[in-house]
Amino acid sequence: MKSRSEATREGASFRDPSGFVFYHGGTPHRQINEFYRVDYRQLMDSGLYQELVEARLLVPHEEVDLAAPMQELAYQVIRPEPIAFLSYPYEWCFGQLKDAALLTLKVQELALGRDMSLKDASAFNVQFQHGRPILIDTLSFERLKPGEPWIAYRQFCQHFLAPLALMARSDIRLGQWSRLAVDGVPLDLASRLLPWRTRLSFAMQVHIHLHARAQRRYAGEVVTKRRGGRAMSKQALLGLVSSLRSAVRALTWHPAGTAWADYAETHSYSDSSLAAKRAAVEEYLDRIQAKTVWDLGANTGEFSRLASRRGALTLAFDYDHGAVELNYRQVKKESEANLLPLVQDLTNPSPGVGWSSRERRSLMERGPADAVMALALIHHLAIANNVPLELVAGFLAALGRWLIVEFVPKQDPQVKRLLANREDIFGRYDRQGFEQDFARHFRIIDVRPLPDSDRCMYLMEALPQ
Amino acid sequence: MSGLNMYLDPGSGSYLLQLLIASLLGGLLLLRMYWAKVKGFFRKLFGRPIDEEPE
Repeated sequence: MKSRSEATREGASFRDPSGFVFYHGGTPHRQINEFYRVDYRQLMDSGLYQELVEARLLVPHEEVDLAAPMQELAYQVIRPEPIAFLSYPYEWCFGQLKDAALLTLKVQELALGRDMSLKDASAFNVQFQHGRPILIDTLSFERLKPGEPWIAYRQFCQHFLAPLALMARSDIRLGQWSRLAVDGVPLDLASRLLPWRTRLSFAMQVHIHLHARAQRRYAGEVVTKRRGGRAMSKQALLGLVSSLRSAVRALTWHPAGTAWADYAETHSYSDSSLAAKRAAVEEYLDRIQAKTVWDLGANTGEFSRLASRRGALTLAFDYDHGAVELNYRQVKKESEANLLPLVQDLTNPSPGVGWSSRERRSLMERGPADAVMALALIHHLAIANNVPLELVAGFLAALGRWLIVEFVPKQDPQVKRLLANREDIFGRYDRQGFEQDFARHFRIIDVRPLPDSDRCMYLMEALPQ
Repeated sequence: MSGLNMYLDPGSGSYLLQLLIASLLGGLLLLRMYWAKVKGFFRKLFGRPIDEEPE
């Protein structure tokens, strides 16, 4: 047993008096408090835990004999299966958020079957593990209280239904709202932003529009005085789950007309140049044997798959929602366990948000990876966003040890397009300037010009900081 | 509200709305279940496979 001073508490784990997450020897553990004992026992003894874990809906855990960091409150310490990479709802594409919503409803349905109920329906309680969503909060179950409505109904609507509806019915970019509103999209805002025709759908009318009105109407009221003997039967609770599920299922979004969704067909490579690029990436990957790879500007994941199929846990970041959506659909179709597509704007990566800015970690805090891939990306950062090459190099060096990078020079049609309507203020933007600036942060191991183009592939290793 | 182990405020409106529509939700679920049975019956009758409810 280790002393309590070695445990560090997770910054996102403080709201629930049932327990909290802490790190011991780098792995997450969860202290369960006396306060939660009876609910925890029902989760474990009713068969619900086993049912959820067997269906891969809830993260499995082991009970461990380890000194609890807050002994005076503790009942038990558990060690859940660690999540390979923590991602957040504002980084998920539409399909990922929808799957996380359906997972939450499935869990609630099964919980009701065992006389339990979810007391949280936070989208942050879901993570993607082995390509699929999974509930990570073992302490979100409580014993069903006869007659009581679903405590987490508001949270479900704010975290899942409202953002999904906004993305599907108004604009896909509204998914970014969950980055601003840590407890989900306020329903009055969603109700105002959604088009009028959403009122014609029974589920949308009730769960968003009427729900927003009820919140306004009864704000601050003591509910015991207003309930007038009404009760919520289990049948009604199941009906609520069923109604929310059909509302979620009815929301769909198909990528069309977004920036890169048809990129694979239109980019400016000849077949031989593409084959050479592929061969270079494969050879570099075989050489470095990375366990984690971050593919920046991954588009639909064509090159990410070279890494994930070699067994590396690969994150495929792109700022285009459509590309991430298409990538995720392929992950689902092929049951790919090692690839996680995420929406990320590298010119404004996810910051630390929430309480003390530590509740949800910044992208940089979730690194570094063993290797970073930046293919057909540099010109977007250096030219479209005016970032000096040396700063680009510093940024990439902070993200991982190895770097597989493609340099796209000014002669290239893609860069010409970026410069077509603006002054060329990029005097240093050529191969020589690129190599000089990157050499301040990296050791250049290999250079390979691609045939039929002016592009070049590089393998680099970050210099010790 | 029982106040028992309720660490998030469910919101008065969210709470009361559910109570107001409780019987409607329960009734709709029953209808949906019967409808699924009717569909299943006809599917079987015509020898078509029953499509599983996706997760």
